[in-house]
Amino acid sequence: MLALLSDEQQMLKEVAAQLAGSAGPANPGDLRTLDRDAAWRSLAQSGLLALRTRDDGRPAGSGVEVAVVAEALGAGLVPVPYLGSAVLATELLALAGAHDEAEALAEGTARTGVLLDRDLSALAVLPGDQTVYGWDVDGAADALALTAVPGGHQVVRVSLATGFTAANGADLTRTLLRSDGPIDAAALTPVGGPLSDEHLRRWEALALTALSADTVGVMRSAVARAVAYTKERVQYGVLIGSFQAVQHMCAEAYVQAEAAASAVNYAAWAVDELDPDEALLAARTAKVQCATVAREVTETVMQVFGGIGQTYEHIAHVHTRRALTDRQVLGDEGVHLLRIADVRLTGE
Amino acid sequence: MDYRDTAEEAEFRASLREWLSTTIPAGWDKIEDEDEAVRLRKEWHRTLYRAGYMGLSWPEEYGGRGLSPVYDGILNEECGNLNAPPLPSVGYIGRAIFMYAGEEQKRRFLPPLLSGEVSWCQGFSEPEAGSDLASLRTTARLDDDHYVVNGQKMWTSGGQYADWCLLLARTDPDAPKHKGISAFLVSMTEPGVTCRPIVIASGEAETAEVFWDDVRIPVDQRLGAPGEGWRIAMTTVTYERGPADIGFIANYRRTLRKVEALAAERGLLDLPETRKALARAYVRGEVLRLNCMEQLSMRVSGRPPGPEGSVAKLLWADAEQSLQHLAMDILGADEMTGVADGWLSSYFTSRPVSVYGGSAQIQKNIIARMLDMPR
Ligand SMILES: Cc1cc2nc3c(=O)[nH]c(=O)nc-3n(C[C@H](O)[C@H](O)[C@H](O)COP(=O)(O)OP(=O)(O)OC[C@H]3O[C@@H](n4cnc5c(N)ncnc54)[C@H](O)[C@@H]3O)c2cc1C
Repeated sequence: MLALLSDEQQMLKEVAAQLAGSAGPANPGDLRTLDRDAAWRSLAQSGLLALRTRDDGRPAGSGVEVAVVAEALGAGLVPVPYLGSAVLATELLALAGAHDEAEALAEGTARTGVLLDRDLSALAVLPGDQTVYGWDVDGAADALALTAVPGGHQVVRVSLATGFTAANGADLTRTLLRSDGPIDAAALTPVGGPLSDEHLRRWEALALTALSADTVGVMRSAVARAVAYTKERVQYGVLIGSFQAVQHMCAEAYVQAEAAASAVNYAAWAVDELDPDEALLAARTAKVQCATVAREVTETVMQVFGGIGQTYEHIAHVHTRRALTDRQVLGDEGVHLLRIADVRLTGE
Repeated sequence: MDYRDTAEEAEFRASLREWLSTTIPAGWDKIEDEDEAVRLRKEWHRTLYRAGYMGLSWPEEYGGRGLSPVYDGILNEECGNLNAPPLPSVGYIGRAIFMYAGEEQKRRFLPPLLSGEVSWCQGFSEPEAGSDLASLRTTARLDDDHYVVNGQKMWTSGGQYADWCLLLARTDPDAPKHKGISAFLVSMTEPGVTCRPIVIASGEAETAEVFWDDVRIPVDQRLGAPGEGWRIAMTTVTYERGPADIGFIANYRRTLRKVEALAAERGLLDLPETRKALARAYVRGEVLRLNCMEQLSMRVSGRPPGPEGSVAKLLWADAEQSLQHLAMDILGADEMTGVADGWLSSYFTSRPVSVYGGSAQIQKNIIARMLDMPR
């Protein structure tokens, strides 16, 4: 047992952090001017969009590499659809054996997102007349959903060009589109072969882990920003970081973020190393931990910043918005606690 | 990164499991009498020792097996999985002796500590020196080839059963408070040592106060250099904080299984709220376990435990105390009417987890310092 990043993974972490550092906003206003396409191109050039394409049937990068990159991009609040296109959509395509389509995404020329149910808790199963959301679809022409076929599911592509309108999404760093349906069978283009339940469990394990890694990044960088502020801001003639109440707020947020990171690291390793049920249990555990603490940690950060931290012009709420949205996507802690209980208590 | 056992680790785990499944004394957790329970714990210690399971990560020359600390983690895990009695915690006293004792002292003290022949307690805290441990007042005055110790220690857990004590006393009253303290290895049977149990809120004599009146300690039982006591104490508490070192994770898993069984017995497993609460308790235990595995890995790769231990200590206290809250919610009035025997005691036993080994507030202070926040 050695629960530490390898040297190569450590290097990847540094590369990803460097990339993310220059591609994310320092202030919310930057979101209007950041060159998102340039950021996407550099991710593609570094090969970071290709981690879940297959090489001889094996993913080019493991769950650990995906989590390392997702965490870095979360930490930088980088407004690119890494999770939507390079992780969630690419993994679906690869599992379905649609390798050419996966490669196209990896090159960064095409982008594809995913369609989620109205409560964001699962991939949409179509056709149907329900409301669905295209999540993390910046620059994407289409998004993936599922359709039921005998013995499993089939991945289908849905064009975002018609029937979708911009939703008033909380997360300022990701694009959210909404369709109030109906989306009928004619609008669905099958991609690749059918997916078994096992495929979908594998996919969910990776998806939950990558989302959780994003949340860890968002939390860690938020805490770091707050701690840095306590070393600058003076009240009563002293730095606010010298007040024990402020120290303890930061320490609590730090502990929560670090605990979440420990759960995510294991889940990331489990994605490709354990059987799907175990990998999914690890991923749900990480998602529960992240979803449980994301709100409190980012709220604490806003509190440490005082009045300025409550304003629209300040970066704190961008962390909060991304963390709160991550929390909902593919199910909040309530959803996953019940699934964990099924495993623990009923042996399902 | 690999969370799996290596081939050697897997082999060790398999033979350990087999050994445990035939060796764990039946009904050990039903024993009510405290003296009887202490006897059983000592016997279990010797059993583990004879089978070679004590001091897995200790150097062979002191009776250990010279393995990586990962093996201590495996021992902890399997003891928890198979519901073995609590593991004896020799780690942190042993660590202090390893790191600071002279050769002679190591040979004298380590083997019997490991074998369970001699049990130890930790005499640090005093009535007036708790969080501010460095303000301790117990004195050790040099008198030729002896130190003469006077003072009162409080919260010396296990003092009433221990044979020896790792004692902190002030040897230089004129030095700055952190610098004037030395550490000693003292027999609890010396004339002048008086021990009185302290009954904690659970009703159990979990800890003790110890009076030291003109107790004479030979100079060669000083641990480390004069004035090095503070550093030794900090090493000890840092190791004491790592839940992996003290078998906490095993205990937590055992208690969680009991709470799950409790909910099942009471027909509560159909309630979504109960299911969620039990799953949350599982998640807390997992998060703590995984955090400890990372810390263990860092130690294996050569980094000594540092303030990250404070993270684990806070997670541990929260997990333990939340689990007792959950049991209380499941039991309702039965915990208050004496129907559900033992649970109220477990509840009160969980409370000082956020006090001993440095209170939760002190751990947060340590983390703030680690974050380099202004002082
Ligand atoms: C069951 C039990 C077993 C124990 N076993 C041992 C043992 O074996 N050996 C041993 O030496 N000791 C032992 N202890 C002692 C334990 O380490 C101390 O109780 C602990 O360090 C706190 O000290 P105190 O009780 O004097 O509380 P105090 O230090 O008086 O603290 C009182 C309150 O003030 C807070 N506080 C104090 N200082 C600060 C600060 N700087 N910032 C913020 N808050 C602060 C504390 O968090 C606490 O809430 C044990 C204690 C208990 C309860």
